[in-house]
Amino acid sequence: MKRIVTIALSLKKSDSAGFWLVSPYLIFFLLFVAYPLVFSFILMFHRWDIVTPMEWVGLKNFERLFADPLFFKSIFNTFVFLLVHIPLQIIVALTLAVLLNSATKMRGLFRAIYFLPVIVSGVVVTILWQQLYAFDYGVLNTFLTSIGLPRIPWLVDPDVAMTSIAVMATWKNVGIYIVLFLVGLQTIPRELYESASIDGADTRKQFFYITLPMLNPTMVMIVVLSTIGGFSLFIEPFVMTGGGPMQSTLSATLYIYNQAFYFNHMGYAATLGFVFALIILAVVLLQRKLVETESVS
Amino acid sequence: MTRLLKYLTLLIGAVVFAYPFLWMISGSLKPELEISGLGLWSSQFSLANYEQVLTRIPISRSFLNSLIVSLSVTTSVLVFGSMVGYALAKLQFIGKGALFLIILFTMMIPFQITLIPQYVLMVKLGLTDTYAALIAPTMMSAFSIVLFRHFFIGIPNALIDAARLDGCSELRILFRVIWPLSKPTLITVAILTFMTSWNEVLWPLIVVRERTLMTMPQLVTIFVIGGEAESQLGLLLAAATLLALPVIIAYAVFQRYFIESMVHTGVKG
Amino acid sequence: MSDGPFLSLLAIVCLAGLACVPDEKKLGESPSSVIQLTYWPAPNQQEVQLADSLVRMWNRMYPAVQVRVQPIPVSQSTEEVLLAAIAAETTPDICSNIWPGALHEYTKAGGLLPLNQFADFDSTATLRTPRELLNTFRSEDGQFHQMPWKTNPVMMFYNKKLFREAGVDRVPRTYSEYLAIGARVTRDIDGDGRIDVWMGERDIRPIWWQRLFDFYPFYIAASGGQTLFRQSEVVFDNDAAVQVMAFFRECYGRKLFPLTFFQGGDPFLLERKATHFGGPWNIATIQKLAPHLEFGIAPLPVPDNHKGQVYTAGDYKNIAIFSNTRHPREAWEFVKFLIKAEHDLLLLQIANQIPLRGDLLTNELFASYFRQNHAMVTFAEQAVYTRGMDSAPDLKEIFDVISQEYEAGAVYGRKSPHTAVQDAARRARMIIRWNQ
Repeated sequence: MKRIVTIALSLKKSDSAGFWLVSPYLIFFLLFVAYPLVFSFILMFHRWDIVTPMEWVGLKNFERLFADPLFFKSIFNTFVFLLVHIPLQIIVALTLAVLLNSATKMRGLFRAIYFLPVIVSGVVVTILWQQLYAFDYGVLNTFLTSIGLPRIPWLVDPDVAMTSIAVMATWKNVGIYIVLFLVGLQTIPRELYESASIDGADTRKQFFYITLPMLNPTMVMIVVLSTIGGFSLFIEPFVMTGGGPMQSTLSATLYIYNQAFYFNHMGYAATLGFVFALIILAVVLLQRKLVETESVS
Repeated sequence: MTRLLKYLTLLIGAVVFAYPFLWMISGSLKPELEISGLGLWSSQFSLANYEQVLTRIPISRSFLNSLIVSLSVTTSVLVFGSMVGYALAKLQFIGKGALFLIILFTMMIPFQITLIPQYVLMVKLGLTDTYAALIAPTMMSAFSIVLFRHFFIGIPNALIDAARLDGCSELRILFRVIWPLSKPTLITVAILTFMTSWNEVLWPLIVVRERTLMTMPQLVTIFVIGGEAESQLGLLLAAATLLALPVIIAYAVFQRYFIESMVHTGVKG
Repeated sequence: MSDGPFLSLLAIVCLAGLACVPDEKKLGESPSSVIQLTYWPAPNQQEVQLADSLVRMWNRMYPAVQVRVQPIPVSQSTEEVLLAAIAAETTPDICSNIWPGALHEYTKAGGLLPLNQFADFDSTATLRTPRELLNTFRSEDGQFHQMPWKTNPVMMFYNKKLFREAGVDRVPRTYSEYLAIGARVTRDIDGDGRIDVWMGERDIRPIWWQRLFDFYPFYIAASGGQTLFRQSEVVFDNDAAVQVMAFFRECYGRKLFPLTFFQGGDPFLLERKATHFGGPWNIATIQKLAPHLEFGIAPLPVPDNHKGQVYTAGDYKNIAIFSNTRHPREAWEFVKFLIKAEHDLLLLQIANQIPLRGDLLTNELFASYFRQNHAMVTFAEQAVYTRGMDSAPDLKEIFDVISQEYEAGAVYGRKSPHTAVQDAARRARMIIRWNQ
């Protein structure tokens, strides 16, 4: 009885303890999450270069946004990026993961190598690939010409540049997804395959009817993470192309950065950030719905 | 036959992922004219490019800056994240459910929306060009809180009650009882936080203009696009190698932890 | 539990404490009766040298007003640094690197002192600069916030040897002549399938200020001295702009200009391009880095039907006094000191830049300089026929837009020159409207 009372007392004590323990977070939340959210809402209706006083402009930022070809261009570019990046990522990651899963020798070593680009800074990867992609003397084109193929204008042709960046991003990130697929593959129960082969399903059928559906949660994750990554694309075009040629690699985040820190349009940049955020949320929700219903059917 | 094909594919994959790094390191040691070749060997390897980089930009200072920033952020995320995670998992207080929902909600906010206002906040607080600006906005992370809470829930209450009976304060319980039981989670959060902080470029580019305060990836970025390298390939590759080296060394030592930690990034999707 | 509140307190203290990184900016303010002025010249070596020698003279002559030279911090562009300084009220007293294109932003932020408040402004200014030209520096409110100082007219440098080797014996004056000569000069000499000598070359990235060396001066030349705006209205969607756009389209389309980045150094110095559009500072660079290069200087090419004087853009840099100054009168005296005729001679000698004077080629003071530096005469002749930059909001972004349309219409030819010009003007109007 005495014991229970003591515990009850200490629980009551923990009531205020819990509050104190979370209070640093509350301060952090108010300062770095709540305040910026509220302030971004205010900024959207102002024109402000930080230096001179804020000017109320009503809906002018939104008017400008819907007449701004670069806003639409950056969304278009992001979708081009995703269209190349997501399928490529899934195909490469899945292939290597399935091979690794069935291989026993040196699995750890291969996995470690594939994972290397993931941990290295995007700046390193970008500098490196800028040299690989160089038109006249880049390693890739030197390789292509040495086997008798023509040079590819990786970063200098507006129709090609974004695809090149998507390929590079795949190279950098695919390691995570190989590992994620490996984890997914290992959670598929052996019995499923066994009973399938008893029913006479060959490896190909097993792959499409067992492996793929069972990996669906991993797929959803890849699609969602890649989408968020696509809208967050910044350092790659910032260093490699500056958004060119012909704005073909201008990403959403790069455009926000340019408006805010190159042209000092804080209000307009906040408006862009808000609308891009809405688009990201909408696209992610839509993707979840699509990928999930697809797996049901 | 299929076995051969399998290992051949895996090997080609390994070459594709590893060769560029080897080319980068070898290129950084080669004289300028040899760099664009495909081969990795040169008879004229030298450290000349590194000497140039070290004299042109304060890169060792930026290494120190990055270290200070990333270590501070990591410590803060571990301490405060586990405090909140513990409170959410094991303590009762008013508004607990609401707080957890708020934390989950903050994980869904795209950073694009808070980027500009956070910068403005730094300007208003007079924090631009200080370590504080680099550290403060990432001192806590919703993701780490969720991870800690998730792990702490599984720790038996009996342990905590026993410690309470011994008169331990809640903080003492957290750091003396819970932490020793949570090493894998602590390592995961530490690696993820450190890596994210170490590799961050956009935020430093925005709040720091003073060269001596720049983080390593930022300084290298400025070096590359600012024309200081005078488009000499060897210098660019040397700077990139210097930037990659600390992480690659850490990765070589803690490889297993790195990969396991990064798998958790999936959780937040 | 007692340390719970303590820890949260600690968190607050940490957050606040981080803010207290020591501020080193408040050093060296000595209280004395001597008036201190701070002067920011452009951060390049020659101009700092010029500033140092001028200030040394001044400080000797006026011990009661001591001037301190501090080159503009180089971390960002001058415009950003000055705007930030105006905001933080850390401006110097005088700065001699004022780009007229950014004047709107400075005055809007209330950073500059109107110079016409000084009784002798008008007489001082017109003594040096012809009134018609002076008037182009008037702010929108009718005041003068800048003292015109120097200009760098953009002209065409050409490589005499490369012209000669291609059998060209005259300098192109019109677009057709330029393109015809270009077809002969642009060659693959060693037969490896790569072009070795180009007629010209421009950085193809859409960097706004690059247009100050191609589209903008060519537009001023083609339009007979017009700028982008008239009475704050965008007026550049005209035939002259389309002709310029079409001309550059031909340069890229006929492969007289390369479409990739040029690696390995300045192609004009390396004698890999035959013409270069640049200012007088290029002369010193050429003489220093490629002393054997035989070059000539000529006005920019113009449309075939062009008549009259060929104007060009002058990259003006002017002097301003910041409204923050505590000693406006002394600062004004220092400005007048900077623009004295003898000091203009130093500007020529040390920095190779053209003072904005009407009497450069008539004043005996400068005669021996121009005898020794014959290449500079062409620039001095051009100096009065230059146009600067309109004072308008967001010029940088408008030039960025022009750059993008130039890329589409001229470099890659994905739009007709006409559409590119129309689109550029439409987008520029959108930016102006957003700013009203």
